[in-house]
Amino acid sequence: MSALSEAPPAARPQLGPGTWAALVTLLAGALCLIFAPRLPWLTAWPADWVLLDTKSLSAWLEAALRFIRPAARLVSALLAYPMGWANALFLATPWPLFIGIVTAIGWLIGGAAMASLGFLGLVFVLISGYWAEGMSTLALVAVSVPVALLAGLAIGLLANEVPRVKGAVQVLLDVMQTVPTFAYLTPLVLLFGFGPVVGLIASAIYAAPPMARNVILGFERVETEIKEAAIMSGATRFQQLFQVEIPAAGRQIMVGFNQCLMAALSMVIIAAVIGGFNDIGWEVLLTMRKALFGQSLLAGLVIVAFAVVIDRMSGALAFERARHDRRVALAILGVALLATLLVWWRHPDPEAFRLLTPLAEAVDKGLGAFTASQGATLDALKNNAMFYGLLPLRIGLDDSVLPFTWGFQWTAWMSGAWFAVAALAGLALALSGRVTAGIALTIGLGIIETGIAQLPWPFVLIGAGALGHVAGGRRLALLSVVLLLAILVSGLWDRALLSLYLCTASVVACVLVGGALGLASAVSPTVWRVVRPVCDMLQTIPLFVFLIPVLMFFQIGEFSAFLAICAYAVVPMIRYTRHGLVETPPEMVEAATAAGATTWQMLRDVRAPWAAPTILLGLNQTILYAFSMLVIAALIGTTDLGQSIFLALGQADIGLGVSAGAAMAILAFIADRLVQGFARGQREALGL
Amino acid sequence: MSDAATPAISCRHLWQVFGPNAKAELVSALAAHGRDGNAAAAELRAKGLIPAVQDVSFDVRPGELFVIMGLSGSGKSTLVRCLSRLLDVTAGDVRIQGEDIATASKARLIELRRKKLGMVFQHFGLFPHMSVLDNVAYPLRVQGIGRAQRQAKAREVIELVGLGGRESAFPRNLSGGQRQRVGIARSLVGDCEVWFLDEPFSALDPLIRRQLQDEFLQIRAKLNTTIVFITHDIAEALKLADRIAIMRDGKVIQIGTPSQIVLNPVDDYVREFARDVAKGRHARVDSVMKPAHGTLAEGPSLREGMTLDAALAACVAAQAPVAVRDGAGAVVGQIDPADLVSALHVEET
Ligand SMILES: Nc1ncnc2c1ncn2[C@@H]1O[C@H](COP(=O)(O)OP(=O)(O)O)[C@@H](O)[C@H]1O
Ligand SMILES: [Mg+2]
Repeated sequence: MSALSEAPPAARPQLGPGTWAALVTLLAGALCLIFAPRLPWLTAWPADWVLLDTKSLSAWLEAALRFIRPAARLVSALLAYPMGWANALFLATPWPLFIGIVTAIGWLIGGAAMASLGFLGLVFVLISGYWAEGMSTLALVAVSVPVALLAGLAIGLLANEVPRVKGAVQVLLDVMQTVPTFAYLTPLVLLFGFGPVVGLIASAIYAAPPMARNVILGFERVETEIKEAAIMSGATRFQQLFQVEIPAAGRQIMVGFNQCLMAALSMVIIAAVIGGFNDIGWEVLLTMRKALFGQSLLAGLVIVAFAVVIDRMSGALAFERARHDRRVALAILGVALLATLLVWWRHPDPEAFRLLTPLAEAVDKGLGAFTASQGATLDALKNNAMFYGLLPLRIGLDDSVLPFTWGFQWTAWMSGAWFAVAALAGLALALSGRVTAGIALTIGLGIIETGIAQLPWPFVLIGAGALGHVAGGRRLALLSVVLLLAILVSGLWDRALLSLYLCTASVVACVLVGGALGLASAVSPTVWRVVRPVCDMLQTIPLFVFLIPVLMFFQIGEFSAFLAICAYAVVPMIRYTRHGLVETPPEMVEAATAAGATTWQMLRDVRAPWAAPTILLGLNQTILYAFSMLVIAALIGTTDLGQSIFLALGQADIGLGVSAGAAMAILAFIADRLVQGFARGQREALGL
Repeated sequence: MSDAATPAISCRHLWQVFGPNAKAELVSALAAHGRDGNAAAAELRAKGLIPAVQDVSFDVRPGELFVIMGLSGSGKSTLVRCLSRLLDVTAGDVRIQGEDIATASKARLIELRRKKLGMVFQHFGLFPHMSVLDNVAYPLRVQGIGRAQRQAKAREVIELVGLGGRESAFPRNLSGGQRQRVGIARSLVGDCEVWFLDEPFSALDPLIRRQLQDEFLQIRAKLNTTIVFITHDIAEALKLADRIAIMRDGKVIQIGTPSQIVLNPVDDYVREFARDVAKGRHARVDSVMKPAHGTLAEGPSLREGMTLDAALAACVAAQAPVAVRDGAGAVVGQIDPADLVSALHVEET
């Protein structure tokens, strides 16, 4: 003992918090592995340990809902009026006039470019034959957006005026961002009854937070001196707000308006799953179910057309300043009126212009021919990805390696060898000085052997706690563990792990593909010129539409879900990677150039470390995107929490809906906090 | 206007402490150290609070141009925001024309700001969504003055600051110097009696800065306001000030006329400031003048208000004390050439 205490303290290896966390996790994993065969409750949470199953939760919530239901029904009856009016107005407006109005607005906002965008977009809607359905969707958006805007503005104002509630409001907004879209619907259906009003309310609830966020951000970004100048001018608080602060925050508030519109549109379309309203989202669902992919694609493109027109126009509202001649807008309206008199008079029914149906049928036929001839290739692609990628990740090598697919049977002996290799590889890394990386490698290889869906729960809890401790200190560690425990005792653990698996698989794919594309875009402007519009487009398309093409080629199943999630979630990874790499301060680049660094050295030694926090934020976005798509993907065959949420909606099972929604939100929330914590650590390490 | 005896601004034992629970912490720290400000501030710092203004007391006379000078972070902006009550003071007393600002009601504050106070900001604080004319007219707009009337008044002030013709421009289309002219015009449109300027020229290029300083002095000559002017630039302070207060780490460590500051710096910190200054150009003969006694030699005589440089040039050959005369030619004092020389070399001691 005395010999030890006399040794200089520096001689002892110094373990950082990351290394400690990794060690603890490794130890937990090893213990679980050893005891799992004898203690089955380590991997499967026993049914009698479920404290709050979804049935009793349903009963509780039902009892609670009974008190507010009359009020809710009143609201829904009241909202039915403006919705009916909007619907009637949009459907009754002669289509040439409507096209003319949108074109004229486009002109006022952004000149010829926006005018033609509006015109072409709506003409496409007209000839697609989905005019009436489209107008129903727009009517819903038109009623829900003002509600969302007002609510968002009010929340933002409240947070700004009452500093004490600001923190709470921001946490609430964060949480709402992680709640999956479908999860809103079940409680709303039970409160407000089936029907379009639920879509309206869901869309307003979903669209208000982006507005509120941007309003808060806008107020924060108004320079202090501008606010002080208003005070010193002798303005009352009311005058300061409405004459100075709100206008000065105008651009950010317009960004909020843009996001609010897009969120409302997205949610209105998602809400179509509850049916009862003849809108375009419903049309997509219906045609998808009937496997009429040509029609489905057409309807999906109508949604895309709306999304692009709404997004670009409201975006231009925030960022363009040029004034455009009003007389041109009036002239456009005049032409539209004329067209109304001449054409609409004889063809009041927009259905008469259904020109694209043959095209849709041709697509169907072509697709049929394609799948018939290339079916084997497509199947091979799908099966290979499933058998050699997704399945091992889900149920582990030990269960997925079968003679039928891999050509041999995985044995206990192989598991032993695998773990030995994992330990040795980790040890080698650790001995070369990268202790944490070594332990992480061992853990990672261990997870592949076990499979994410079969991870022992103590391991997951301890791992999340350890990560939380590194990323955000004791509070985050505790929060993560408690929240995960909540999932455990609600009996949804298996499904939660399935969600975790699907999310992990997609995020890993997105990181690889998105990182590579981001890197290529950073290095080559030509690549970026191609990738950028694709990214813009992918970010504009409502989630729902992603399902159509993957269904067309790969039918219902996990692989299709995986592809849809990847297609949606890859965008932030590309953008942030490129942005981080490109935005390295020029003086750093010049210093490295002056020191004689090659392009590759520059990338590795200067740009990549600088970009790390930005890329981590991209990863964070990718994870959140993946979680939000996970729920939508349930429509095409997954077995995770997303499916539970979706089932709950169909069966009006509020207990299941709420707990599955909450479980999904918990996973997303923890992932969000962890990655944000790491990003913060990286930023601080760079002194930012 | 109040009578000349009441200071335009008076502050006593003014404290501004940032941090949680600042008021209670300050009270207890002061009590613990027997009202010793320095010790109390040290304790607050140790607790992680920021005493940005510590125990500051001074008076500003009506019509005076009072400059507060100090390095960045010394608490100048915080102090001026306490005077205009953009910040609630943590402790102490601020009076404007005898009226207690710290306890004034919201309504009264609005009234005061509309009628008596004007403020210019370092980064201009212009409203980005308003034209120059609307920016300048804004203080009148909040009072409910009609459009035509307020715009007429705003045009006058815009003319005064030399921006005539740019009324319909937006701040983003103006240069830095032009923006600050708008800021100045806006603060003057309400005919303020007390005018705060927080480093108004610090964000500008040296050339523009000098030009605006000169124009500022011209404008000042036309007005009758009390001015509190903040700067970190000793040359600017000396050029403009009637009196200068020097701040360091939240404390005012010296208050005096430019000559006093240059010739008798109170400590090394101030001496460091004064070091790079051509003293002869800023100090005036009054600061080394003694009462006249005995008979004075014939020969050169000095004028009251002359700079030391000019005085030295005028009596470079003189051996005996030289008379100082006022505008009418009457002797008001005398100067020993030796004193003159040693005053100019004070920093070498
Ligand atoms: N709102 C605030 N909260 C906390 N600290 C502040 C705040 N405003 C100023 N400070 C601190 O007070 C000190 C004085 O700041 P300031 O008055 O702006 O200095 P100056 O204007 O002389 O450059 C600085 O250390 C600054 O960091
Ligand atoms: Mg300052």
